[in-house]
Amino acid sequence: MNPQIVMDGLFTGSMIGLGAIGVTLTYSILRFANFAHGEFISWGAYFALAMAGALGALSGALLTPIGPFSFGWALPLGAVAATALTGGLALLVDWLLFGRLRVNRSTVIIMVMASFGAALTLRSLLEFIFTSKPVYYTKALQIALPLGGGIRATPDQLLSLGVAAVLVVAVHLLLTRTAIGRSMRAVSENPALAGVVGIEVRKVIRTVWLLGAGLAAIAGISAGLIVQIRPQMGLDLLLPLFAAAILGGIGSVPGAMLAGLIVGLAEALAVQTIGAEWRAAAAFAILVLVLLFRPQGLFGRAE
Amino acid sequence: MAAAGEIALSTKALVAGYEPDLPIVRGVDFLVAKGELVAILGPNGAGKSTFVKAIAGLVPIHSGRAALGSFDMTAVPAHEKMHHGLSFVPQTENIFATLSINDNLLLAADILPKRRRKHRVDDLYAMFPDLAARPSLRAGQLSGGQRQMLAVARALVVEPSVLILDEPSAGLSPKIVTEVFSRLKAINEAGVAIILVEQNVKAALAIADRALILVEGRVRHEGSAATLADDPIVAELYLGARREREVQP
Repeated sequence: MNPQIVMDGLFTGSMIGLGAIGVTLTYSILRFANFAHGEFISWGAYFALAMAGALGALSGALLTPIGPFSFGWALPLGAVAATALTGGLALLVDWLLFGRLRVNRSTVIIMVMASFGAALTLRSLLEFIFTSKPVYYTKALQIALPLGGGIRATPDQLLSLGVAAVLVVAVHLLLTRTAIGRSMRAVSENPALAGVVGIEVRKVIRTVWLLGAGLAAIAGISAGLIVQIRPQMGLDLLLPLFAAAILGGIGSVPGAMLAGLIVGLAEALAVQTIGAEWRAAAAFAILVLVLLFRPQGLFGRAE
Repeated sequence: MAAAGEIALSTKALVAGYEPDLPIVRGVDFLVAKGELVAILGPNGAGKSTFVKAIAGLVPIHSGRAALGSFDMTAVPAHEKMHHGLSFVPQTENIFATLSINDNLLLAADILPKRRRKHRVDDLYAMFPDLAARPSLRAGQLSGGQRQMLAVARALVVEPSVLILDEPSAGLSPKIVTEVFSRLKAINEAGVAIILVEQNVKAALAIADRALILVEGRVRHEGSAATLADDPIVAELYLGARREREVQP
């Protein structure tokens, strides 16, 4: 077996893991499976493209590659703006759609169906604005560096892995060591009691959207940097995101990241051993096996 | 209205219920004086829990008024009431079982100014040494009595002027009920007004200053705890005296 699949799996897995954190937080706190989450990945990637393009047009120096990387300062700066814009987009979708359904005490199935509708709308809007033609942050070629053991990686890939690792630790610390994190865990367990103890549940919900969509944007930017940017990129990641969120245990941030890596590795293994057309089947098989044998996931607690 | 002294909490013609056209609480006038302990009693389905949940902001108030001192809190959302000095301990699921004891207390302390949080949680640990022994223990691993104590401790973090408890004796052994109620009496004697919804009439009247009996969402009787405990008609109709007599040889 080619050892390179480990690195390929880790890259894909880190993107899946970042996206799955948003899915798991939305699921545990807002209590529905948000099928529009993949679209935040796509929108994050396109927002960064647009912002980096605008910054590059303002100053050509921002397009000069930084050190060993393939991109200039326009992309990291654009990524920061894209993260904020994607968070804003999530808040807008909540204000226009999910918030109104919550007020009407809509059932979970209505929320899920609404998320399908939101996903279609967001994806179509993206295709309308940017067309469905694949685009790239940079067309500069990068030489993969040997890391030992027959494994190679480009500086961009290593940076993506590092950013994902830092973000997972940061989100974990946010949830376990801060007041807003405590509030999020409390709302996840019992929203009514959370209100009684002085927590403003609406503020927690806003934080979940901002955090989940922001992480999705970074996953999208990583995917765009390493592969390509397409309106369908979020949809393609949706099944692996849910497989990772469920495998990790709903509500568990480290679980979502670890499960993302497992799903990524399984996909890479499937591509290498069975064929690229079976990539999605690997995530689906994991999802089915977890639901059958350990529905609470790796880090979840049995009901 | 038998309350004397400065008013801690009051309701005027309070009508409340989950559905607008189906009121469960039907025009309740109620007063609690500062430092008073009032028990709310009555048969099952009388609207006791709905009444206190409406005061706490968990059940819609359709008409009437609820006030904390002179502050009208009829339309104040549940999460803001704790900021104004009203704490509520629900009957069931009144702790965050997946969070540690310390996190349960810190959750309530988070609404205090930063410099006071740790100090206030330490005060509560001094008041409830059982909780202080294992602050990092998951609250779901506590016994029934300890859970109730944690819920009360969390409610006290913000130093409320009024503490409402919905059936704190539910599911506890008689020995633990005695312990919980003696703790509640001590909290009340420290100056916190307490509204106690209870099915355990004997235990509630033993610590209450005053009691009222709700029947079908309305106040049917009201008086001092001692008077109500000795009233044979009230005891027979609403407090289970007949049943107690029947089962005694």
